[in-house]
Amino acid sequence: MPVLLPVAGISISLPLLVGVGGLVGFLSGLFGVGGGFLLTPILMMVGIPPTVAAASDSCQIVAASSSGTAAHFRLGNVDMKLGAILLLGGLSGGWIGVGLIKLLRATGNADFVITITYIVVLSGIGGFMFWESLRNLRRGALETKVHVMVGGEGFLGSLPFQMNFHRSKVRHSIFIPFLLGGMVGTLAAIMGVGGGFIMVPMMVYLLRMPMHVAVGTDLFQILFTCAGVTFMQATTNHTVDLLLAVLLAAGSTIGAQIGARLGRRLRGDQLKILLASIVLLVMVKMAVGLVTTPSVLLTAAKGH
Amino acid sequence: MRQRKLLRLVAALLAVLVPGLICAASPPDDITAEVTPAVIPMGTFYSGSSVHIEGRVPANTDVIVAVRGPEATEVFNQVGRAGPIWVNKGKVSVSGIPSLLLVFSTKPIHHCLCRGELDRCQLDAAAIRSQIKVKPPTRDREVIAGEFLKLKYRQKSYQLENAGIRLGDPEEVNRRFALDFHWPRNAASGTYLVSVCACKGGDITESVEIPLKVVEVGFPATIAYLARERPATYGIISVVVAVLAGFGIDFLTTRIFKKKVSSAH
Repeated sequence: MPVLLPVAGISISLPLLVGVGGLVGFLSGLFGVGGGFLLTPILMMVGIPPTVAAASDSCQIVAASSSGTAAHFRLGNVDMKLGAILLLGGLSGGWIGVGLIKLLRATGNADFVITITYIVVLSGIGGFMFWESLRNLRRGALETKVHVMVGGEGFLGSLPFQMNFHRSKVRHSIFIPFLLGGMVGTLAAIMGVGGGFIMVPMMVYLLRMPMHVAVGTDLFQILFTCAGVTFMQATTNHTVDLLLAVLLAAGSTIGAQIGARLGRRLRGDQLKILLASIVLLVMVKMAVGLVTTPSVLLTAAKGH
Repeated sequence: MRQRKLLRLVAALLAVLVPGLICAASPPDDITAEVTPAVIPMGTFYSGSSVHIEGRVPANTDVIVAVRGPEATEVFNQVGRAGPIWVNKGKVSVSGIPSLLLVFSTKPIHHCLCRGELDRCQLDAAAIRSQIKVKPPTRDREVIAGEFLKLKYRQKSYQLENAGIRLGDPEEVNRRFALDFHWPRNAASGTYLVSVCACKGGDITESVEIPLKVVEVGFPATIAYLARERPATYGIISVVVAVLAGFGIDFLTTRIFKKKVSSAH
């Protein structure tokens, strides 16, 4: 059954859109990633104009992450205090990132810089996660780590304004999550995604948060960031397709529920190795896309 | 008396036969055509539309039907190689050609029209290639024209050299023709122009043009209006709807999952 997307101006299969939303929502619930880094390219592949895909993606992430946040909140997986500091940092970083993108567009090949940023970031994070998760799975040593209060060591431990984050069972200077949020917000703005796939590994590896709390807190932070982005896209670019977003959300919120429940049954290392595999697959696809001769040597100039 | 009756009979016969004789001797009526539907509504479950065109053309002529979208300047990134990788090497704008072009004919179009007419009416790929305007001016103009056509074929916005026009009895003075085709579902809303041409000896002898409107209606029209004309309201609505959709489906799925768990117990 086809459906007409009023802002995108195209007619497309309804089950296809709901299915794509369901798949990405499942990953969102399982890993705490907003799914933007997967959903935007998939939507572009099925014929949605890039600007509409990116903007509507932000809108559907609001729906998926509100559903995911609610599910994780009930499970006690949202650290509100840490999430609020991350959000403040994320919004500040996002503002810087938007400025950087504007500068990149004015100076030349922004698309190329964005693609290279994707490849570098995804290969770094994916490769490290995969390697460490594999090592931990072989040792079977991770489960004991998450129940003890851990804090920053060395330089991180010496920073001022140390604070206990009880839900996450960690102690850090408030500058750490603020700067981390800022850095991820900047990268997220450049890459045009929610940033969960960067944030979750950072929370786990840098802040030493338990995986499940990192996932819940990240969804909480993504909800507010993407709400702001949706509003800005609607007012400045007129590219938010509400119907597209709602259809994707219908699939993704159900997928997120299933993902969140399945996530509780899997071990942290199993989750990480799955996420690492997906991150690496996307990276490989992008790298192959860079060296493969395109079928058409013109693309619509409405991307990032 | 007999003579009068004979004269009346002759006069009556002449009154009936003369107009018929005059009609038969006069040149055929102008080319006629009708497009059904005249307006294509784009509702929520729109997936393109069947379009029927029928009419009459003079005897011994071929028929060409061309559907054109308005001319528009389109901007593209030009992709090129930089070492082993493909990158955007700059922007090009393309103009001077229709945004949509569907061409149907009774014979291969090169058999119907001479090169001059094909170029004048932009009815084949060669005409598009020769008349496309590329800015900034570049030596890659030919390549860009070829890639532009490839992109348009892929989007189904350009469908050239189609058969499908059915012709009526060749003995008819005004020969009937009919064409059915599927309107491309991804063509934008707007006014398109249907040109029906009768051709003979490589030239267009007569033609008629009929507008074909494609308009958004119902829910898609409302959303498109809000997005364009009330962006701040639309932005707030988008966020609120997204949050409500998220919590609403969360509520429903939670109920479903709880029921499943309790029934399992």
